[in-house]
Amino acid sequence: MNSKAQKKSIWKTIGKSREASLVLVLIVLCVVVTIMNPTFMSIKNIGEIFRNNSLTMIMALGMLCVLLTGGIDISITSTLAFAGMTIGLLQKYDILHNTFLLFVIAMAIGIGCGVLNGVIISRGKVTPIICTMGFMYIWRGLAYVISNSSWASGADVAGYSDFGQSAGPYVILVVVYVVFFIMMKWTKFGRKIYAVGSNAEAARISGINVNNTLTAVYGIMGLLAGLAGALSVSVYASAQPNMQYGKEMDVIAACVIGGVSMSGGRGSVVGTFIGALIMAIIAKALPLIGIDSIAQNTIKGVIILVVVILNVITQRMMDKQNLERRAM
Amino acid sequence: MAGKSGRTIQSVKKNSLRSTLLSWEGALAILFIALNIFNSIISPSYTVTNVLREMPKYLCEIFMLFPMAYILILGDIDISVGSIVCLSATMGCFVCNTGLPVGLSFLTCLAVGTLCGLINGIILTTFTELPAMIVTLGTQIIFRGIAEITLGSGGSVSLKNTAGYNAIAGKVGIVPIVFFLVIIAAVIFTVILAKTSFGRKLYAIGSNRTAAHYAGINVQKCRLIVYTIMGLMAGLCGMFLTSALFGANTTTGQNFEMDVIAMAVFGGIATTGGKGNLVGGIISAFIIVLLRIALGQINLNSQLILVIIGALLIIAVLIPGISSSIKAKQKMRAVE
Repeated sequence: MNSKAQKKSIWKTIGKSREASLVLVLIVLCVVVTIMNPTFMSIKNIGEIFRNNSLTMIMALGMLCVLLTGGIDISITSTLAFAGMTIGLLQKYDILHNTFLLFVIAMAIGIGCGVLNGVIISRGKVTPIICTMGFMYIWRGLAYVISNSSWASGADVAGYSDFGQSAGPYVILVVVYVVFFIMMKWTKFGRKIYAVGSNAEAARISGINVNNTLTAVYGIMGLLAGLAGALSVSVYASAQPNMQYGKEMDVIAACVIGGVSMSGGRGSVVGTFIGALIMAIIAKALPLIGIDSIAQNTIKGVIILVVVILNVITQRMMDKQNLERRAM
Repeated sequence: MAGKSGRTIQSVKKNSLRSTLLSWEGALAILFIALNIFNSIISPSYTVTNVLREMPKYLCEIFMLFPMAYILILGDIDISVGSIVCLSATMGCFVCNTGLPVGLSFLTCLAVGTLCGLINGIILTTFTELPAMIVTLGTQIIFRGIAEITLGSGGSVSLKNTAGYNAIAGKVGIVPIVFFLVIIAAVIFTVILAKTSFGRKLYAIGSNRTAAHYAGINVQKCRLIVYTIMGLMAGLCGMFLTSALFGANTTTGQNFEMDVIAMAVFGGIATTGGKGNLVGGIISAFIIVLLRIALGQINLNSQLILVIIGALLIIAVLIPGISSSIKAKQKMRAVE
């Protein structure tokens, strides 16, 4: 009887805190993989995981804000390609080689794309998925058009790609996460995003400018997509118009695994980080434990479905328990 | 007469020429004619024969427009269809390559598609709290993942015996068979949506799911049926895509879901549910197909079409919002 009660309370704390249960999953995952292949826990390996997934992890933060407002943005990897391709071409034609300026240009392009999304969605009252779908076509198409479907190769971006091999991506990753953690938890703007997502009408009545908040959120998403574009060119030492094609779904999936609700108002920076990390570790670990990398996508999809379905089942059980308690 | 929702019920249908031309479908029809004139000016090879010859590979996407329109009218979405096309085309190719009769290969395409659609439907109707977007995102990755596993390290398969698939890629005169099938499917789906009780149920569910439930409509059954049909039509699309490409690879059907949703939305079907009809969707589908063919003929950067479709899409969704806000302002002024 006693042990049963204790067990229940552990489950309760885990059930209550989404982040706690995610950390549990993460630890189990790491332990299992390390037992099967001890090389997994090497510093080099973990460094690679963060470097190669820095794009997804950075964009997941922007997607967190967008999903919190109840929207969605599927144009991010097209923005990434357009911004990345632009700075790739600037180097290819020897116009600019300053790493810092190139990052600024990519981020400026990203903000422009994002704010355009935000204005159309908030002022034009267009459904987010349709608006961003339109821009998904436009920016990707423009990336092909400006580059005339050619690449900027490793030789073109030679000096610039050193940054991606240095500690740069880690620094950016840490800075962005710290800034977002503080912003979402302790600033007015962060609380506004949650307010708009929970109940836009109530937020409007309580004096929040919903339209401006939405525009800012999509602007931030664009900024991070532009930043990811600059990083992508640097880390992979090339720029192609089709870079990161279809990866926006990975970003959304990372958020959803991290407990961000698609209907808005629920989700956290920590959860998003762990969600992105779980996805990254799974991708890295499968080849190490002897599963063909071909099966990677299938397993990724199954995990997404299992996570969201488990979520629903626990929610149903909790509702049922609450009802029973009330009946007593 | 106007209810709380601002809608009116009219006993006499307005069918004047003016209202027809001013409706979204009317505008699309005018755009369609204008596009044809424009195309024949910019491209000298834009003739009926040439267009019909190039059409089949674009036409198979239209098969998926009809059930996608149903899904959007329900207020749902399905972004897994591109992967269903890939999986069914892959399976069809493998069955054909084992030497079994080609009919069995066709059947495999359709069966795989239907099964995938059914899986989507079962998950969505069992766990009704889940948004369709995230479930079909999961199955999108899974279905393409299964195709990737089946295709193995090479990542592609080509038909060894193309005779059977050549048969369905054939023509009657100059018109490809698939064109007739698209027209037949268009008529069937349009009539079901506009004239049957099932069609009315879809609109009812899309307008207000709870109200539809209390009105005695089996909401989940309707959703299951529509998602299954979506899978079936995606399988059909996979079958005809194979007949045009004679094979399949891991990128077959990539982004088809976005193309199809773009066609539907450009045709005036709202993603929020309950609004739009298939006539607009079909006209917009043909506008996009003809635009693609014409731009292909004049050797423009083929990716420019992406920019044009994207711009059209955003303009199309902005117009209703702008026009309604103008109307609201006029009303305010009239009240003052």
